Amino acid sequence: MGRAEHIAFVVPRLADGSVVGGAETLLRNLAERARANGRKVTILTTCATSHYTWANELEPGRRQVGDLEVEFFPVDGDRDLEVFLSVQNRISAGVRVSREDEQAWLRNNVNSRALCSHLAEAGEQYDVIVTGPYLFGLIYHAAQVHPHKTLLVPCLHDEPFALLTAFKDMFAAVKGCLFNTEPERRLAERLYGPPAAHQVISVVGMGLDDFSVDAGAFAARHRITGPYLLYSGRREPLKGTPILVDYLEAFRARNAVDLKLVMTGSGDIPIPPDLAPHVIDVGFVSETEKFEAMAGALAFCHPSVNESLGIVLLEAWLAGTPGIVHAHGEVLRFQCERSNGGLWFKTYPEFEEALQLLLSSPETRRALGQAGRAYVLREYAWEAVEERMLEALDAAVGGVGG
Amino acid sequence: MNETLEIGAPGIDAGAIVDEIRATVERKRAEGAYADPRVARAEKSNLTNLQNDDDFFDFYMSCLRQAFVVDINDFAIVERRARLGKPLVVLKTLIWKLLKFYTYRLWTQQNQINGLLLSALESAEQKNRQRIKSLETRLAHLESEQH
Repeated sequence: MGRAEHIAFVVPRLADGSVVGGAETLLRNLAERARANGRKVTILTTCATSHYTWANELEPGRRQVGDLEVEFFPVDGDRDLEVFLSVQNRISAGVRVSREDEQAWLRNNVNSRALCSHLAEAGEQYDVIVTGPYLFGLIYHAAQVHPHKTLLVPCLHDEPFALLTAFKDMFAAVKGCLFNTEPERRLAERLYGPPAAHQVISVVGMGLDDFSVDAGAFAARHRITGPYLLYSGRREPLKGTPILVDYLEAFRARNAVDLKLVMTGSGDIPIPPDLAPHVIDVGFVSETEKFEAMAGALAFCHPSVNESLGIVLLEAWLAGTPGIVHAHGEVLRFQCERSNGGLWFKTYPEFEEALQLLLSSPETRRALGQAGRAYVLREYAWEAVEERMLEALDAAVGGVGG
Repeated sequence: MNETLEIGAPGIDAGAIVDEIRATVERKRAEGAYADPRVARAEKSNLTNLQNDDDFFDFYMSCLRQAFVVDINDFAIVERRARLGKPLVVLKTLIWKLLKFYTYRLWTQQNQINGLLLSALESAEQKNRQRIKSLETRLAHLESEQH
């Protein structure tokens, strides 16, 4: 097996400060661990910070961000949004589109020709190129430049976009994949078939550092006197946040419990006026405040059915708080089943019963939270994740097949 | 209003807890505890996740049966503006009392439409189910003949 000395991480945005996204955070953390292991790491990313506008808000060029060397490239400004949205809407609706339409969608997606040109010209200096998540034109095109040394961190979801022929080709062409969980690896195999013998396939995930916070601090700061559910992350239909709002409204109407919903993160979702006083939106908060909110919550609710890891659920477990997830969210349910750290619901009545149980039985809540915490400390300790990642990176240099 | 679910087993087994939750839900559903328009409304965002789930569809239809009648009962009238809040509530309450009678005609018509739509949906669903069942039987028969 060789050794990957110089690794490029290609990401659509650099996770930094308020720029957070699960995949971006994952890739930045992996890059930092590889750097800490003595490997040379370069992050290649765009000048965008907003995943809504993709405007070039940062200066292009190479500079140091923390311990990492980062090179910023402008997002292409000539995308035809009309074409992009027209194909995207058809794909979202489950319509099978032609190869030409797929390419039109990818061409008018978020791209950076400057970044791909850099890869083409200077790609030889990198032993391995790690890139993801899969759902971006930029990642698709970057993976075409040196596929024989590209490892994909796909963050794959079971969604109509994953069925595109272009992505099937991309998965077959790259050197390998670093999956976040076993269900994600199984999904890729179901969608694209078994990997070729020369491909490096590994379930790596992301490590989490343990923390200790005051479980009452968040509630005291925000004057919350009763129990609350917590959701952290982007609020949008794909993340299942409308279900959470609808369920909370029904729960409050049907039960004499003053249950609040606390949300951290970004995105607007409609909240009925009567429910608004009971939904506490704190927006972006520091990591410490997020962890405090997690530690004090009755449960961390993650109703998304499109996750490939669920970092925030793992963080909530580290805080000793149980999770409540949607039964159709294969990855999050898998995590709950394996850890015994959370419950899953398919319909409102199951959600209501789960909440009633946690409210009436603090010992069950505690036991679930502790089981989740033990699971994260065991499975997602950085040492274990780092070992899996470095093994895969080195294997990609030439140890496996060719 | 909810009877609390009790977990008897020592230790923690999330799968067993979810099984117990589901058994409790089944029992309470049979008792009509979830025949509630608020439950039907709560499930509207969940439909896409479960559109291929027959059990959920049955449950959702039973929720719809409870939800198709428009609610025109009196409701708490509130005013968020602090200035003139009380007089505004009195005024709005008076307007509601005076005009409530005139909503009855609309209410009846809307309930009729909702009821007809629900019946049509139920009948179409039943018909489709029968059709699929008969196709599956024929397919199984043809397959067994081929083998």
